Amino acid sequence: MTLIQRFTGQIAAVAALGILIGCGSPETGGAKPNGTATNTSKGPETTPDATAAARPVSPGAGNKAGGNTLLIGMVASVNGELKPWGDDCVKGGQLAVEEVNAKGGIDGKKIDLRIGDSNSKPEQGKSAAEKLISDGVLGIVGEVASGITIQIAGSAFEKGIPVIAVGATRTDLTAKGNNIFRVCYTDAFQGPVMATFAYKDLGLRKVAMMTDKKQPYSTGLSDSFRKKFAELGGEIVDEQFYESGQTTFSGQLTNLKAKNPDGLFMSGYFTEVGPIARQAKDAGLNVKMLGGDGWDSSDLFTSGGEAIQGGYYCNHYSNKEQRPEVKDFITRWTAKFGKEPATAMGALGYDATMLMLDALKRAKTKDSKALIDAIADTTDFPGISGKVTLKGNGGDPPKRALIVQVGKGELIPAKAYEWDEVMKGAAAGSTGQK
Amino acid sequence: MHPSYLIVAGLDFTALPQQLVNGLLLGAIYALIALGYTMVYGVLKLINFAHGEVYMLGAYTALFTSWYFGFLPNLNQYPNSSFWILLIMLAGSMIVCAIIGVLIERFAYRPMRNNSRIASLITAIGVSLLFQYGGALFLPNSPPPSVAEKVNPFGGAFSVPIIPADAKLSEVVKATQPDYEQKKKDLEEYLASTGQEEFSSDPQVVAKRDAKQAAEQSYMDAKRKLETSGVKVTIQRGQLTMLLTAIVLMLGLRYLVLKTPAGRAMRAVSLDFDSAALMGINVDRVITWTFVIGSAMAGAGAMMTATFLGTPLTTQYGVQPGVKAFVAAVLGGIGNIPGAALGGILMGVAENLVVWIGFSQYRDAIAFVVLIFILLYRPGGLLGSAKVEKV
Repeated sequence: MTLIQRFTGQIAAVAALGILIGCGSPETGGAKPNGTATNTSKGPETTPDATAAARPVSPGAGNKAGGNTLLIGMVASVNGELKPWGDDCVKGGQLAVEEVNAKGGIDGKKIDLRIGDSNSKPEQGKSAAEKLISDGVLGIVGEVASGITIQIAGSAFEKGIPVIAVGATRTDLTAKGNNIFRVCYTDAFQGPVMATFAYKDLGLRKVAMMTDKKQPYSTGLSDSFRKKFAELGGEIVDEQFYESGQTTFSGQLTNLKAKNPDGLFMSGYFTEVGPIARQAKDAGLNVKMLGGDGWDSSDLFTSGGEAIQGGYYCNHYSNKEQRPEVKDFITRWTAKFGKEPATAMGALGYDATMLMLDALKRAKTKDSKALIDAIADTTDFPGISGKVTLKGNGGDPPKRALIVQVGKGELIPAKAYEWDEVMKGAAAGSTGQK
Repeated sequence: MHPSYLIVAGLDFTALPQQLVNGLLLGAIYALIALGYTMVYGVLKLINFAHGEVYMLGAYTALFTSWYFGFLPNLNQYPNSSFWILLIMLAGSMIVCAIIGVLIERFAYRPMRNNSRIASLITAIGVSLLFQYGGALFLPNSPPPSVAEKVNPFGGAFSVPIIPADAKLSEVVKATQPDYEQKKKDLEEYLASTGQEEFSSDPQVVAKRDAKQAAEQSYMDAKRKLETSGVKVTIQRGQLTMLLTAIVLMLGLRYLVLKTPAGRAMRAVSLDFDSAALMGINVDRVITWTFVIGSAMAGAGAMMTATFLGTPLTTQYGVQPGVKAFVAAVLGGIGNIPGAALGGILMGVAENLVVWIGFSQYRDAIAFVVLIFILLYRPGGLLGSAKVEKV
């Protein structure tokens, strides 16, 4: 959930209040956790298999199950800016645990889900994770934000506790150690998905790009999109840059318009994508608009207005999907909580928790070490958001992605892409134009 | 045909007129903000770093006013907008900004006025930070809200042709249109009759979709070629409203400063603070009015950008425009009112030219490069006096 990284970045920016203020713009970009020196989506083409080989083995001894319950921890943003995602994540976890307990738990023992609050802040996420580990949890589910997940992963790596991240898409996250996993796709997958969709399904041939050069997420996504789109035979007619925080884009858009594109790929966050879309329409640039999961916010509807309607972006999952497991999940969720999950993090939180419990069931002994092995051995786990296979993939499952269309105040699922369709070049879908 | 003789050394001169107009529209807003910096500097010799935050609060005021009129972010039902709502939003932002400007002066700058100038400067930075980070506690900030576009009744744009479009191309467009519409209808009818999804991988759908897309390609391509075969300048009605309002406000300010007793007092204080006080001018009142006018101008600029450009609001909203406008004020000669207007417009145009020649990633940097060069040769700014000041 990349846009979340941005919010954590804002918090970090507040924390870094001492930075000079008069010149430059001290907003989100610089202090963003995944925009800092350690960074990020370099090598978007890293295949999961490649990372699997290089992952260092966690030196920690881990926790062992004791007593009559099995302890599982979850770190979520119960408070702070990311509360909407944190709430859904916690609910998803609770639903999963309740369902497993209703069926008698695991080996006759009930599951006890302990929630730690990251307060939407990386440091607090770290201390919440450490508290959970000292409480004796066998594994940790969380977080939604990559910046917070990195902190949790650091502590868990030392202690030998498995972590299943919920929505953290930063590509290099799972390279941290062999105990880090996730149930979502990575940023290196989104770009090719959108390129394939643009070329094969929308029939676009000349795409222009707007890239936020201040966000590594955006530059990385643009790169992976460009590479795949060119590979398919399309042409990137122009790339223009902006910085998050800017408000006028008419100059860039005038240039793009002169190049006659038939599509516009905007890899940045919804905060700028909305106004760019509006100003593009104003400039008479009537083209199909595309983007990544940085668009995923209900705020896009207001900031993009009518201009963004009809645009497509890459998401993890949608409540409106017609797959039976989704319908069933929504029914169970609604029965427990009264209304549908507000964000995709409900399903991802459920999937991450369920995967943890599934692995615990499969683990030979009920301790963290065996649990890590069991998670790493996961094959075709039937998640709500798609199948998760971790065996042979390091921590990054080759997930499906769902392209959604921005409608009038709602998102319409347009097309789902399986990992193989895009990454292995074996296009099972449309044959495209000749 | 694309007028290819207009592409010289990799530069597309067909886009130049549009870029200049873009620059002018952007520059008008910079100019409005720059006026506040320059007026305060003229009177107090203080760089009011909190001015960008006054601008930010003006944008929030416009947001809240639009909410008051029912333009809430609930998407589906918007009331009808009218010119009067815009006018009330404009007035609201100007008034609120004026009040905030006066309060900042009264409680932050006035107590420091007799201390060294650096102390006031630090206070200004402090106030700026206070609003940026303190504001985040109270103002809707995350996810950032933005003023609904429906509040703008001046939708649409008009175009001024410079070189007319190629008439032959419009025939190509006409020729390709029926094929596209036929294929589109084919696909839609097939989808409706079989209940398939548009992006399904069913071979029939794929074939029909590909056929439609091929026809769409040639049709849209012809359309876009027609569009770019001529040279024209497109101006949004909303943006034109912005420009006209900015001009009216600046002319009003000019009248106020040059023709009214209050303006004369202001100029006197600017010329010599102590002597003006000795001559019986109520210096405190003049300073208050300076803040009222400067802040109101920023409020007007903020209301217009927030309304017409649709940028989401955060408490950092004023940082970048504030810095740019400050540079514009220095560029024109800080303390000089026509200089601020000129500097603002030059900044806007320079930025768009940088984008036009293909360096959009250096858009912000180039503004400062221009500033450095101008200050090297005219240290007082374009219209400022270059006398050396002892600080």
